[in-house]
Amino acid sequence: MSPGRFRRSSVAFVALLAFVSSAALAQTPRRGGVLRVGNLGEPPALDAHWTTASITETLTNHLYEGLYSLDASNRPIPMLAESHTVSRDGLTYTFKLRQSVKFHNGKEMTSEDVVASLARWSKQSIYGKALFAQVADWRAVDRYAVEMRLKEKSAIVLISLAVPNNFGAIYPKEIAEKFPPEVKVTEYVGTGPFKLAEWKPDQYIRMVRFDEYKSRAEKPNGYGGGKTAWVDEIRWIPVPEVATRVAQVETGELEFADDLNLDAYDRLQTNPNVRTIVSKPYYWLVAVFNKKDGLMTNAKLRQAWQAAIDIEPIMKNVAGGRAEFYRMDSSLAPVEIAAWHTKLAGLPWNEHNRDKARRLLKEAGYRGEPIRFMTTQEYKWMYDFALLTKQQLEDVGFTIDLQVVDWATLVKRRNNPKEYDVFTTGMGAFYDPTHHIYLTASWPGWTTDEDILRLQAELARETDPRKRMALWEAQTRQFYEKVPVIRYGDLFGLRAMRTVVKGFNERTERIRFYNVWLDK
Amino acid sequence: MTAYLVRRIAALVPVLVVVVTVAFLLIHLIPGDPVSVMLGPDATPAQIHAARQALGLDRPLWEQLLKFYTRILRGDLGQSYFLDRPVTQALLERAEPTLVLTFSALLVAVVIGVPSGIVAAAQPGSLWDRALMLAALLGVCVPGFWLSLNFIYLFAVRLGWLPAAGYASILVDPLAALRYMVLPAVSLGFSQSALIARISRSCMLEVLAQDYIRTARAKGLSPAAVTWMHAFRNALVPVVTVIGITMAILIGGAVVTEIVFNIPGLGRLIISAVLRRDYPVVQGVILVTATAYVLINLVVDMLYVLIDPRIGYE
Repeated sequence: MSPGRFRRSSVAFVALLAFVSSAALAQTPRRGGVLRVGNLGEPPALDAHWTTASITETLTNHLYEGLYSLDASNRPIPMLAESHTVSRDGLTYTFKLRQSVKFHNGKEMTSEDVVASLARWSKQSIYGKALFAQVADWRAVDRYAVEMRLKEKSAIVLISLAVPNNFGAIYPKEIAEKFPPEVKVTEYVGTGPFKLAEWKPDQYIRMVRFDEYKSRAEKPNGYGGGKTAWVDEIRWIPVPEVATRVAQVETGELEFADDLNLDAYDRLQTNPNVRTIVSKPYYWLVAVFNKKDGLMTNAKLRQAWQAAIDIEPIMKNVAGGRAEFYRMDSSLAPVEIAAWHTKLAGLPWNEHNRDKARRLLKEAGYRGEPIRFMTTQEYKWMYDFALLTKQQLEDVGFTIDLQVVDWATLVKRRNNPKEYDVFTTGMGAFYDPTHHIYLTASWPGWTTDEDILRLQAELARETDPRKRMALWEAQTRQFYEKVPVIRYGDLFGLRAMRTVVKGFNERTERIRFYNVWLDK
Repeated sequence: MTAYLVRRIAALVPVLVVVVTVAFLLIHLIPGDPVSVMLGPDATPAQIHAARQALGLDRPLWEQLLKFYTRILRGDLGQSYFLDRPVTQALLERAEPTLVLTFSALLVAVVIGVPSGIVAAAQPGSLWDRALMLAALLGVCVPGFWLSLNFIYLFAVRLGWLPAAGYASILVDPLAALRYMVLPAVSLGFSQSALIARISRSCMLEVLAQDYIRTARAKGLSPAAVTWMHAFRNALVPVVTVIGITMAILIGGAVVTEIVFNIPGLGRLIISAVLRRDYPVVQGVILVTATAYVLINLVVDMLYVLIDPRIGYE
């Protein structure tokens, strides 16, 4: 070996060593720093029981915890619960609680807090209400054990306690009893790895590390498992203008930006300090029919809609022409909810069969009456898919009266069966078949079909996983026959973070910043 | 003069009553409902109904209006549904950013607008005049958000000279406040300066055509003395009016700038309040903005007396 070559290769070796060790260093979490997260708005509350708003879900899951959480494949795993036992008849669940878990106010979490919190949750949350409809008695057994006695066998006990949205957060008893369920909590005390330090509406929400947090011993797993607050502070900054969120993550004013517009993808990818994340599941696009009043009570008309639409061009357009941001799938549960994802053949999904649609229109006795289709421009993807749907439907003989309103108007009007025929929205992740709100009689659109409701009731009772899957497949077939809503394709979202952000779990529906550290 | 002032202030009351009533009715008559927004997309009608009752939104409209009036008389603007705090507190928190933005934008607008108008008028038809008026035309035509976004892209993302968005209080950190305020103040002030420049120019031209200007020139005064000493002050009255109007517009209307630059001011507050149907906040912001508008007009009217001794109020 010549000296020159030796020098070159030794330099290369040292460089390699440096690279390897810096890569290893980068993988060692470190404490400290402020993580600034830009999101699109202000939460209506920091009360997890009170609202289904996704921003509240994201924020409150850093402050509070429930008895159960979801693992990486979206199945329930214990969080504040240590374990549970079920009686032989399947009617009594006894939950053992973890001991010496502290609330942010220093008090120890015990069974009385759990009983009071879930009692409040049972009266306000959609998931709590559904679960407690099956509950006969709910009480503390001793300081670290609670008991739930059921009226009938239930398949949804653990999953209902594990869902992250509108979830069964455990508050101190004093707070859970002080605020009636329909009034939002304004004292924020939980057991989570972060505690609320300051909330300045429209400016920021500061959450700081809770030093007495007692982590589970397991490794991080999905939403649950061990949790460590590496950063000193998470500062949630509402940045309503999406172009500004993009610019701020580019300049490093934000370490993380959520819910970005897809056309920023190319620009962000050219920035070496920024990592883009395609977030899935995001929403499947949906047109919800009013089945209580008006034209769309006619199933033939709904079937005609389903037969007429050509979903791929719609999805492609909504996703800005990029294949990375949409997925064609007929399953009611997205691929990410592995336990409930179905692969059924022969469903009348995405048929784009114009002749069938025209025939169904004729059978429905439709004579071109205008169908009121409500959408909003506040969410661009909703407006885009509504507009493209209108064009496709009018090609086969529908008359669509597209009513573009703001979101506040839409969510108000959709509760009144006299005011619309169809509305747009998106369906996020539902972790159990019984949670699919559009298959219930209480949610706007009002699905009252007897077969669908009967299957939902059976799904709530049946505890054998294999039988439940068979029921869910039967429900999926019913869905495509009765057409309570139209399932379009899956749309994905866009997030971006600075490359200094490490340890972020990219596979969850909503963002979480425990176990995340800053490498700077 | 004092009597006039008292009369003007007394006249404020009916104006505000009308503004408040119209604002109340408008926001309640448009469809939409704060509770449906707050409870999120998966809420059921039963949940929504219970929360509406808790907020008193199920009461008849006239009853709510009556309650609203009695509260205002006590100086209470009510409680925000969304923000969990009194509206007065929410308004006070947002006042500083809006005032800082207003005055800095106004400063930019006046510093650019008035001299350009005068320089342009001093030599009408010259290259200077044409160039300045073309710039003013652009300023009027270019939409504010477009200018703002391009400023952000150029000065924050590309060059990295200034932060893209955000706000720091001048009371806490004046230097940071300045850095945050440069882009919003310039992008907002630039379009407003265009209007001021055009008005200044035309007023100056009108004055410069007067006989006494010819006299001033005839007695051998320098062009600068003629322009600045004799013409400018006389051209000032309409200019001050426009500056006053600009300021009033800025207080309530810097909405786009506040949103793009993420400044937590009154403009952003009212937009989010409208979208959330946070009725008490919308009414509060309208009340405050309307009061500011009327008061600014009053101050402008008072300034006329100082500028032009021929004007007097009896």
